Amino acid sequence: MNPDAVQSRDRSDGRPSFLGHGVGLRRDHFERVLSGPTDVDWFEALSENFMVEGGRPLDVLTRVRERYPVVLHGVSLSIGSTDPLDEAYLDRLDALARRFQPAWVSDHLCWTGVGGRNAHDLLPLPYTEAALEHVVGRVQRVQERLGRPIALENVSSYVAYRHSTLPEWEFLAEVARRSGCGILLDINNIYVSARNHGFDPRAYLAGIPPHKVWQFHLAGHSNKGAYLLDTHDHPVIDPVWDLYREAVLRFGPVSTLIEWDDRIPAFERLEQESQRARAIHHETLQRPAGPAAMTAAPAGRPSDLGTQP
Amino acid sequence: MKPGGQADLRRSQELFWELITAPEGVRAAIDDLARRGVADGPSLNALFAGDEGLPAVERLDIYANMYFYRLLDCLAEDFPKTLAAVGPARFHNLVTDYLLRHPSEHPSLRYLGQRLPQFMTTHPLLGEFPHLADLARLEWARADVFDAPDARPLSRDALARLPQDRAGDAKFTFIPAFALLRFDHEVVGLWRRLDDRAGGHGDTAAAGGAAIHGGGSGNAAREAPGPDDSPSGGDPGPPSLPAPARRRTAARVWRRDFIVYHSSLDEEESRCLELAQSGESIGRICQQLAAGRSLAKATARAGRMIQSWLEDGILAEVALSEAPR
Repeated sequence: MNPDAVQSRDRSDGRPSFLGHGVGLRRDHFERVLSGPTDVDWFEALSENFMVEGGRPLDVLTRVRERYPVVLHGVSLSIGSTDPLDEAYLDRLDALARRFQPAWVSDHLCWTGVGGRNAHDLLPLPYTEAALEHVVGRVQRVQERLGRPIALENVSSYVAYRHSTLPEWEFLAEVARRSGCGILLDINNIYVSARNHGFDPRAYLAGIPPHKVWQFHLAGHSNKGAYLLDTHDHPVIDPVWDLYREAVLRFGPVSTLIEWDDRIPAFERLEQESQRARAIHHETLQRPAGPAAMTAAPAGRPSDLGTQP
Repeated sequence: MKPGGQADLRRSQELFWELITAPEGVRAAIDDLARRGVADGPSLNALFAGDEGLPAVERLDIYANMYFYRLLDCLAEDFPKTLAAVGPARFHNLVTDYLLRHPSEHPSLRYLGQRLPQFMTTHPLLGEFPHLADLARLEWARADVFDAPDARPLSRDALARLPQDRAGDAKFTFIPAFALLRFDHEVVGLWRRLDDRAGGHGDTAAAGGAAIHGGGSGNAAREAPGPDDSPSGGDPGPPSLPAPARRRTAARVWRRDFIVYHSSLDEEESRCLELAQSGESIGRICQQLAAGRSLAKATARAGRMIQSWLEDGILAEVALSEAPR
């Protein structure tokens, strides 16, 4: 299959289609999502949860994909690790992407393990020229293997390396520029890391090239006093909504997703969060709030999508 | 350490790993690294940045907590009855020991618990809970069956289409989402008692689906429990349930309509399932049942057994070993 057919590129700046406002697909909501219409435009599925051979998860994702655009979001690519790329993992990711035809595939700008072991956590990189070269080369290999560009997300972090020579946003922007990957900009992660490391979150936004931003994440976090912890178990707080408003102003219409991964509330609560994001988006861009007007990536049977231009 | 090079990136990741996976915490790990001459406090301070509000060690401790508690949560989700059987404190210590011996080597948390049942067979906890490895094997089988490949179950019609005169030569194959287990303890009953105690459905064979591994966790951070719910403080300990009897038992685990079931088996049915799984014919299964029975009774028993296999959807195909000429 021609990978360009998978990712509809209808924007003049090469970014993938604006999908509207979505939420993460979580098992607590499977029944609700499949039971009827929702107020969300698209879903993000955690890639690793569906790298299985059969059973309910794959059935649910198949049925969700028939109705909505889906993005595959991974947590184990470990793009910054000094271990070799995990070819078996890439095979599974490729198979998953071919089966479900996501609007795009994303993961995190981090490393998750070393020495063949996996921490299942998003560990920070030093922001150096050597790390940049290392990451860029691996992103290029992944993109060649998958036959499509990927998007990388900025992570929340709690410790930094003294020998970093670049601010995180410059590192992220440069990875995107050199490798051709997109950016999944997590607005909450910017806020959390800004507080934990003492940088200006607005400087972060200003350092990211607008044409590289494919997606926003929004989530809640916990205030632990001395630091903020990215727990994804609370509503988005007002300062993060404010930062989102500034991001929309800078980056324009960018597909936006609410993450809520722990102490997961009823689906309707997520819909409310998503509607708030939609309202801010439209208010900022001075369009009436309503269903996503620019949604261009269609739902439908994945097998139908191979014929798109 | 000259920062910035590729080799330094490797070294910094190895150090980071050692610091956040040490069971006694980051400070103890630094002391250990210093004793071994690998790295000392000053060199680590030169690598990781902190400040007065939050020193580097405490920042690394955040990662250490996330590492352990994310994996603990995952194993608690995959082995809920094992956790209930021993209580949170013992389970916490078991997981600590397990992760030291078997850190995750797979990109998916789905496989983290793969070696836990076997690991338990040599763990000191087995002295207190001799049935624990059996219970964990039952739980892991349920997790395995949950996302095993899909297969259409054999229909009654397909079985009826077998030529009557050759039906005894036919052989079954089972759906991938099926497992036959043998135990040294009566753990199916224990599973049900633990389920009842947790407010489960009380129907062992019809208990609900297993977890989607890491299904909800995404990339959310994990933290250590607060003082009120730490594993060492206020631990209720193991429940006051009678220990399961030590005797040879068997169970089958299967999935139907995306729900995982298990049920205990008598020795006769488990032997017949073993024969069928190993490719023996229906006739051979009937022979097994004929011992001490009339032919009519053996045939009736085989009929009931195969009927239940059909109803539970554990059979995938039936085929004659050789095509009729």
